[in-house]
Amino acid sequence: MTAPGPAGGRGGEPAGAAAAPAPAGARPRRIRPSRFEVQIALALVLAAAVPLGAALWLASRLAAENLALGLNPRVVARLEATPALYGDLFQARKQLYAEQARALARALPRDAAAIPAFLEAAVRHTPRLRRIAVIDARGEVRAEAENPEPNPEGEWREAPARVPLGAGETLEAVFAVEARFFADLDDARELAEGMAGVEALRAEIQQSYVRAFALLLGAWAVAAGLAGWWLARRTTRRVSDLVRAVRELARGDLRVQVRVGPGGAADEVGQLARAFNTMVDEVRESRDRIVYLEKISGWQEVARRLAHEIKNPLTPILLAFQQLEAHHRERPAADPAFARLLADAGEIVREEIGTLQRLVDEFSGFAKLPEVRPEPADLGEFAEDFARTSPVEGAAVEVARAAGPCPVSLDRALMRRVLQNLVQNAVEAARPAPARVRLGVSRARDRAVLTVSDDGPGVPPELRERVFDPYFTTKAEGTGLGLAIAKKIVLQHGGDISAGAIPEGGSRFTLTFPQREAPPPPAS
Amino acid sequence: MTVRAAAGALPLALLGAAALALGGDAVPVEAGLEARDGRLVASLDLRPAFPDDLRKTFANGLTNVVALQVALLPEHGDAPSAVFGRVLEIRYDVWEERYVVTVRDAASPAGRQLTERSWAGLRRLLSDARDLDLGPAAAVATGSWVVQARVEVNPVSRELLERTREFIANPPSGVRGGAPSRSVLGAMASYLLHGSDGGDSRLFAARPFTAREVRTP
Repeated sequence: MTAPGPAGGRGGEPAGAAAAPAPAGARPRRIRPSRFEVQIALALVLAAAVPLGAALWLASRLAAENLALGLNPRVVARLEATPALYGDLFQARKQLYAEQARALARALPRDAAAIPAFLEAAVRHTPRLRRIAVIDARGEVRAEAENPEPNPEGEWREAPARVPLGAGETLEAVFAVEARFFADLDDARELAEGMAGVEALRAEIQQSYVRAFALLLGAWAVAAGLAGWWLARRTTRRVSDLVRAVRELARGDLRVQVRVGPGGAADEVGQLARAFNTMVDEVRESRDRIVYLEKISGWQEVARRLAHEIKNPLTPILLAFQQLEAHHRERPAADPAFARLLADAGEIVREEIGTLQRLVDEFSGFAKLPEVRPEPADLGEFAEDFARTSPVEGAAVEVARAAGPCPVSLDRALMRRVLQNLVQNAVEAARPAPARVRLGVSRARDRAVLTVSDDGPGVPPELRERVFDPYFTTKAEGTGLGLAIAKKIVLQHGGDISAGAIPEGGSRFTLTFPQREAPPPPAS
Repeated sequence: MTVRAAAGALPLALLGAAALALGGDAVPVEAGLEARDGRLVASLDLRPAFPDDLRKTFANGLTNVVALQVALLPEHGDAPSAVFGRVLEIRYDVWEERYVVTVRDAASPAGRQLTERSWAGLRRLLSDARDLDLGPAAAVATGSWVVQARVEVNPVSRELLERTREFIANPPSGVRGGAPSRSVLGAMASYLLHGSDGGDSRLFAARPFTAREVRTP
């Protein structure tokens, strides 16, 4: 994601005091996927589709083989034959019971009085005989015996067997058949019918399993594809942001930045974004420096010509006026009024020429700024040295420096002039009260920082950029060159200067310099 | 077009109508046509549909199903004018040694039960298809018409489909004697299971008739 770039920040660091939003940094709303995203999505789809096809083929084979295993024709045939087996069992039981009934009929006593006892004994001794009765031709029971055991839970069913006894009489024997046979028969029939149904629908079942498998796999592939697309989009979006930022950079927008998200800060794309931001910052700072120095050079040329053009006529003007005064002194005027007028004019001319002379001197000084000749120095020691040896009238200068060395390369004379300008500005801003100026020295990453703070009225925010323009001043008698000179000197040191404010309301000028590699400690 | 189908056998009847409309090689059968209370009632002799070799099938002790779809069509047309459906469930009771037949059609959607002691009796019951309501008799007042019948033995009925769906959605668990287990894949497969045109299906057709051949009581 591109984002407004911090003017003073480096490598995606939080914006500094001079940060300004880059209008081209905002990421436009994206509707169409990038080509990179499309390529990744296609790769994911291909990667998912190939094993999907193989898995479907395998699923089809698996379903067919499982159905073949589960629907073994011999097993199905055996299952379907189960009810017939029960039929055979029942037939056998019925024949057995009929034979037993015939045996009982043959053994039935001829003496009617003995029949009840015989029947009672038959019930006791014949397995599964529940009841036995002799029924006459009219259907009336002549004698009977019954097993007294109850059948509360339907544990058996009745199987009657009838044997004619002659003279219209019948021996009726009711045997018991275990009810569990019928329950088992129902279970077997249900299972066999289920299996027959599955057998009839074998091809359809196989297809439905393949369809279900395809559906599940498809859903899984869609979910995986969506997750992959989401993950890919996170990366491709950052790459696309980088591409877009590079395009904006190519169009000349040096404030463009790529946002480094917390999730992707550690990976290669995050490192690339960080490097891009650092590069853009450095390019922008270099360009700003070059632009400012070119502008200052232009203004220096203007100052040089102005100084020349103004300075040249000043001496003839002064000489001419001095001749006029000399001539008037040789011939004392008869007119005392003219003598007074001449004296007043002389005073005005000399005063204005003096003012012009000072202006010319300042222009000349600005136009002839010497080249910076930096030498190794410690910024903290330099600040303390300035506070100690360069007193500025009306200012109390304090120094607060961070512990440890702060090695830089400085042209001490020119940097002293910079500090003098800044302290002088503080003095003039604080008048008539004395100014209290604090010099702070610290380090920030690879930069050495020198701050100059005062407790004056401060610089309005809208003027903090313009105060470094040549000839821009808010003072009645200022030339507007002090801060321009200061900025040029700082830029020539490879540093930067910005105007800000302290929380109490005073101004704070922040000067940053590249830190110099500290010299190795001397060998003992 | 009048389509009157038995409530219980409606899906089968409609399936049958679609199948009947396709025509095909039909076996000729005898048909009797009668106008009863203003409705055309047909009877068919479907003996060719139930050969003796079906005896073993029907006596296997399982529930066997015979689906009968009868359609009334113009002689030169393939869109049925009326369709009648009847489903017979036959189960041989191995204890009682008799056939129990449950007949479902428009007249008895809940089913009426009949019993037959012998294969001959069952065959007679199945072959003698009577009281086949083919819609208003006035529909055949003009033109020449044909009665076609499709007999399917053990077709894939809706009940069978549902039972099979239940079976594959709750397959037996791996443990011997264990209860059926719920299967996600099986549930999806059962949802996606469609019926088939399986089963032993035969097509019959009576000779064309006109209104004059329809008996009136």
